[in-house]
Amino acid sequence: MDTHTRNVRNVQVLGIDAGGTMTDTFFVDADGDFVVGKAQSTPQNESIGLLESSEEGLANWNLSLDEALPSLLTGVYSGTAMLNRVVQRKGLKCGLIVNAGMEDFHRMGRAVQSHLGYSYPDRIHLNTHRYDPPLVPKHLTRGVVERTDMQGMSVIPLREDTARAAAADLIKAGVESIVISLLHSYKDPTNERRVRDIVLEAVKESGKAIVVFASADYYPVRKETHRTNTTILEGYAAEPSRQTLMTISDAFKGRGTKFDFRVMATHGGTISWKAKELARTIVSGPIGGVIGAKYLGATLGYKNIACSDIGGTSFDVALITQGELTIKNDPDMARLVLSLPLVAMDSVGAGAGSFVRLDPYTNAIKLGPDSAGYRVGVCWEGGGIETVTVSDCHVVLGYLNPDNFLGGQIKLDRQRAIDAIKTQIADPLHLSVEDAAAGVIELLDSDLRNYLRSMISGKGYGPENFVCFSYGGAGPVHAYGYTEGLGFEDVIVPAWAAGFSAFGCAAADFEYRYDKSLDINLAPDAPAEQRAEAAKVLQNAWAELTKNVLEEFRLNGYDADKVKLQPGYRMQYRGQLNDLEVESPLAVVNEAADWDRLVDAFNDTYARVYAASARSPELGYSVTGAIMRGAVPIPKPKIPKEAEVGRIPPSDASIGTRKFYRKSGWMDAALYKMERLLPGNVVTGPAIIESDATTFVVPDGFETFLDGHRLFHLRQF
Amino acid sequence: MNVDIHANRPVAEDPAQSSDSVIGIVRGGETLKQHRDRLMVATKSTGHYAGLQQLPLRENHPILYNKLFSRLRAGIVNARETAKKIAASPIVEQEGELCFSLYNAAGDCILTSTGIIIHVGTMGAAIKYMIENGWEENPGVAPGDMFCNNDCLIGNVHPCDVHTIVPIFWEGSLIGWVGGVTHVIDTGSVGPGSMSTGQVQRFGDGYSITCRKVGTNDTLSRDWLHESQRMVRTTRYWMLDERTRIAGCHMIRKLVEDVIAEDGIENYWKFAYESVEHGRQGLQARIKAMTVPGKYRQVGFVDVPYNHEDVRVPDYAKVDTIMHAPSEITIRADATWRLDFEGSSRWGWHTYNAHQVSFTSGIWVMMTQSLIPTELINDGAAYGTEFRLPKGTWMNPDDRRVAFSYSWHFLVSAWTALWRGLSRSYVGRGYLEEVNAGNANTSNWLQGGGFNQYDEIHAVNSFETAAVGTGACAMKDGLDHAAAIWNPEGDMGDMEIWELAEPLIYLGRQVKTNSGGYGKYRGGCGFESLRMVWNANDWTMYFMGNGHVTSDWGLMGGYPSASGYRFAAHNTNLKALIAEGKPIPLGGDDDPENPTYDALLPGAVIKRDKQAITTEEMFADYDLYLNYLRGGPGFGDPLDREPRRVAEDLNGRYVLPRFVERMYGVIASQDAEGTWIVDEAATKAKRLEIRKERIAKAQPTREWMKAERGRILRKDAATQVQQMFASSFKLGPRFEAEFRAFWDLPADWTMLEDDLEIPSYGAKHHMDISELPDVHVVQFVEE
Repeated sequence: MDTHTRNVRNVQVLGIDAGGTMTDTFFVDADGDFVVGKAQSTPQNESIGLLESSEEGLANWNLSLDEALPSLLTGVYSGTAMLNRVVQRKGLKCGLIVNAGMEDFHRMGRAVQSHLGYSYPDRIHLNTHRYDPPLVPKHLTRGVVERTDMQGMSVIPLREDTARAAAADLIKAGVESIVISLLHSYKDPTNERRVRDIVLEAVKESGKAIVVFASADYYPVRKETHRTNTTILEGYAAEPSRQTLMTISDAFKGRGTKFDFRVMATHGGTISWKAKELARTIVSGPIGGVIGAKYLGATLGYKNIACSDIGGTSFDVALITQGELTIKNDPDMARLVLSLPLVAMDSVGAGAGSFVRLDPYTNAIKLGPDSAGYRVGVCWEGGGIETVTVSDCHVVLGYLNPDNFLGGQIKLDRQRAIDAIKTQIADPLHLSVEDAAAGVIELLDSDLRNYLRSMISGKGYGPENFVCFSYGGAGPVHAYGYTEGLGFEDVIVPAWAAGFSAFGCAAADFEYRYDKSLDINLAPDAPAEQRAEAAKVLQNAWAELTKNVLEEFRLNGYDADKVKLQPGYRMQYRGQLNDLEVESPLAVVNEAADWDRLVDAFNDTYARVYAASARSPELGYSVTGAIMRGAVPIPKPKIPKEAEVGRIPPSDASIGTRKFYRKSGWMDAALYKMERLLPGNVVTGPAIIESDATTFVVPDGFETFLDGHRLFHLRQF
Repeated sequence: MNVDIHANRPVAEDPAQSSDSVIGIVRGGETLKQHRDRLMVATKSTGHYAGLQQLPLRENHPILYNKLFSRLRAGIVNARETAKKIAASPIVEQEGELCFSLYNAAGDCILTSTGIIIHVGTMGAAIKYMIENGWEENPGVAPGDMFCNNDCLIGNVHPCDVHTIVPIFWEGSLIGWVGGVTHVIDTGSVGPGSMSTGQVQRFGDGYSITCRKVGTNDTLSRDWLHESQRMVRTTRYWMLDERTRIAGCHMIRKLVEDVIAEDGIENYWKFAYESVEHGRQGLQARIKAMTVPGKYRQVGFVDVPYNHEDVRVPDYAKVDTIMHAPSEITIRADATWRLDFEGSSRWGWHTYNAHQVSFTSGIWVMMTQSLIPTELINDGAAYGTEFRLPKGTWMNPDDRRVAFSYSWHFLVSAWTALWRGLSRSYVGRGYLEEVNAGNANTSNWLQGGGFNQYDEIHAVNSFETAAVGTGACAMKDGLDHAAAIWNPEGDMGDMEIWELAEPLIYLGRQVKTNSGGYGKYRGGCGFESLRMVWNANDWTMYFMGNGHVTSDWGLMGGYPSASGYRFAAHNTNLKALIAEGKPIPLGGDDDPENPTYDALLPGAVIKRDKQAITTEEMFADYDLYLNYLRGGPGFGDPLDREPRRVAEDLNGRYVLPRFVERMYGVIASQDAEGTWIVDEAATKAKRLEIRKERIAKAQPTREWMKAERGRILRKDAATQVQQMFASSFKLGPRFEAEFRAFWDLPADWTMLEDDLEIPSYGAKHHMDISELPDVHVVQFVEE
């Protein structure tokens, strides 16, 4: 974070990460300097917390809101309000229309939803499984007589009287929104859209303000539970968010901004709060960091990046390969299966606050999956925690400064941690307290390292092709541990690690993405005319999606010629159930040779992700989906670039030493104040670099170099 | 003192180490057989796996041990998640019917993924069969080899579970094995579908592969590829399933190689044996913590209604019989235990027999859901349990002709009793949260085949069964449409995916009202799918499930779930009814005793009865088939159920209104909106009245027993009940003696199959697989 105060600043970009408890703001000026603001969240009216956080941040630059906001060019919001609304089941009263006879399918859920997100032991522990209540209850669900088959052929024509009856019932029941989802409507949306029009007509006649959503208009992809859940999110949770976002936008406009806020979306771009598909802004915090890493990578020339984020409760990993995010198409969130394109991010329930226990039956060491959260661990008496946490081990081993936790807001008691570790972990394992605590850290590091490794090898790469970015409150504490021995090309800790998600929000593209299911099936020896025909079908789908993308931008005042389009497709071997997303090597496809290029790109990807031996070209190929992404240029934070001043840190950066335990021995670690280190400085371990919001551990055998972009590079000798 | 888990010195330096101076492939120089023999002797003599009375790696380096454990386990789970995406079969990809397990050199499982973990034992049995039958010598075991197995006579559950087994070598020596299994959609059996019913002998079960070497140098042999493809109906699924298994096995082999490179072979080697002993100790610790020592007795039954026109089998198999599985769990004060199935009935001419390994290994699937839900699932639990399965029973057949294709029909019905036994113990210790009244019968199985909507030869095997209702707990209801005993990570899948895989249109999918057992806490309800044949040619389907018998029971006053039935309709005239806009069957068969579908289909041929098992029956487009997935059993007296919960059941359509007063003593009525409201005062009075009626109806046990004894003396029982006891008496002399003593029967009272007027092929003449030349079976249980 910048500490050099200047008289005139041109503040240009604002990133917001509104979490459940804290709201972070991230301001960037024209020189790429940035500042982070923090304030408590105000769920009743989010704009209050946002303005307070902004004030707090800008105060570091001695700027008031009224001075800074008018110069802003853009702002991006990311928050958990929609997710919380879903989790707490506090959405709109939503009605649902499905095929008659299938009225139960939404409330039945998919059984997988009864154990989504569970740990291995709980996944098999049947009595722990449970369903959350359906978003739409049975009494607000109606059926219409209609059936369309998997090929889009009509089996039972729509009986329109049943649609009218359904609409009348739901309107009478006082619903605030109506979602329509018929089987295979992604294939032929005619009947579903007819039902939509009948409902719209009935709504109009009733004079009520009821919003209507047909699944085919939003998420025309196969798997009815995913598609219906997602469309229900639009009707249930997204509409209230639209109001919230408008209020925020207006509150900032009232203080001088001149733009509409954009919102972070699941596909990794940002969209307007006016967007049709607002449900995809349900995404939560960590995604911002991935976008930030992608942006940094694009600016500084890193193509393959492993993004790692450790907070108090979880370790989140995402991969950027060849400069592209990895997208998951049928993800789950809030224990619901969805059909949104979501930046693939894997989480393990292991963070700094994770509880450490011995299994009472096997004496195995268990980390998490639950955690102490803001209550830190036994070392903070005020937290009321009695079970050892990872943070307790940090305190005992000297990783953390007990007097400077969260900038000294909380005083930690090392002796309490020692006593707890002794009785709960060390004595039962016949280890010393230090060795037990170091063992826990080693185990955590090893778990995270395995996790990183398996994610990268799952994509068909090795760590040596990747740069690892480490951020989040506890990322820099463990960066050495979970990267040790993996052989990453580089390990980078941004000096603004704790505010990295908000930074990422500010760096996101203004991008819309539309998807459509397709069923193009070709034998391996398909003649040229069939291949050309297949290419044309894909091209037509791209044309249709392009229209949607351009329409979204038009709503926001961008002409078509400003939009950069990138087509993609989903392909699989014929008969498989899982496809792979491939970015099209061609902008337009029309001929047999074009089709062959698409096939080659797919085969390359497949061999990388699974195994060359798993390729099955003899089955032929299916294209299951078309994708169109469109983006417009948008102001983004400048990455700082300062001159390097020399290897030796300035004397005021050094703040003493602390006892530090690692690999069966105590040593003296040199302490540094992160903000006072200068570009070019090299710090050799054992050393600990502290700032208010994070601690960067550089153990013996490691050194770190701070470059002109305020990025620390961690190296092992 | 600790017994070494590998030969101390290389054989070359110490010829005395090996009796016949053969240099084996196992690390340290032993042959596979020598290695396993030594471990088994050490296990037997010490009571600790491999003689490991201490666990040096775990005790001296707990952090390293834990690191190895979590890295290997996470890697195996990850391999399953990645590999399953290669498959085309929704059974594998959507239902997760696959599993990968890692074994030590002796074929004992170290760690496993989630999924169908019954195969922890079955793949281990296949490895042990190779070890005991000289595979090392011929056909040889070398790096890059691949073996395929689905042989039920050496331990597999049923032929559709196909194993791929890959040896793992380090520096030229064998250090372990990895196995992968998928449930394939067709095995080329008599009828299409993976668990067909028409055959009565193993030869009709389809393609049977005995630990065959199918590839070398990580490449499948062409003769294997050509042969295996033509042995099954669904070639593409078969092929991609095999690639799924191979990819997963190779990922895990790589994982092991990486781990060894990092942490050293010596540490890995120790881990590979210590973890099994650790698993054994873990089970013992859980038994100690959760149960009360003593004997727990329970029993399971299920019907085989083969004397019916829609069951097309040979005459000698065309009999109605009942599976009988009494069980006795003995928990000793030192927390060791024994499971004895004395009194079980004989194997039969149907496809529901089970091998001793699938029976015992499968029990762990059930135990891991309640007794040991831990990450440490391996063969340690098997070594920590004594089993006794009398030879000749359905769970340990003594004839090499027996068929296995749907052994689960009997397995799930026998195991549901074990939940009750353990749950009584949990109640005794106050672990109410762990109580489960038992697993549902995991049926119906919708199966069949013909030409599908793509005009290809096809077989279908709906796995909606993976989401039946679960048993009630002692503090909450069972979960509706949620899981199956063979895979707790249940899922019914999306209709749009099943419609891709099957030429069957959904006309309904809804909660099956009244299917969960009544109770203070009710069993979870199942669900039902109404399917219409669409775009199929030369199509057949059949039913498979319990009908006349409720295979699960309630617990402590709770009721069993509803039993099964079938509904199918032919010549429906639906095409015209649809065109004319007339009412048609849509949604569920709400109340089968007061059906609504039937009247909408004038002139149709309707099959609606308790015949819930049939063989291939012809179906044409517009015919209907109801797939009814069962509910789970209840816990506690229904009269103790909170009336407001009954109202919720009514409003959620989990119970039929006509049963509410009789079963729950609840008086409720609907308001103007149709919402059910309980009349509290009337309910209180009604419940009092029912309790009085119960007392009035009650009689002293002695009197009841006197009457029952009379019935036994008169043999006043259906033929199938008599046959069941006759076969149990013959195979279980102790069971018969106890039965005679309990009922005080005279010596001249006998119950013999010969006295019954039904065929009893197999009762006297049988020939075991062990009688074949050069076959060494591996014995896993006491007989």
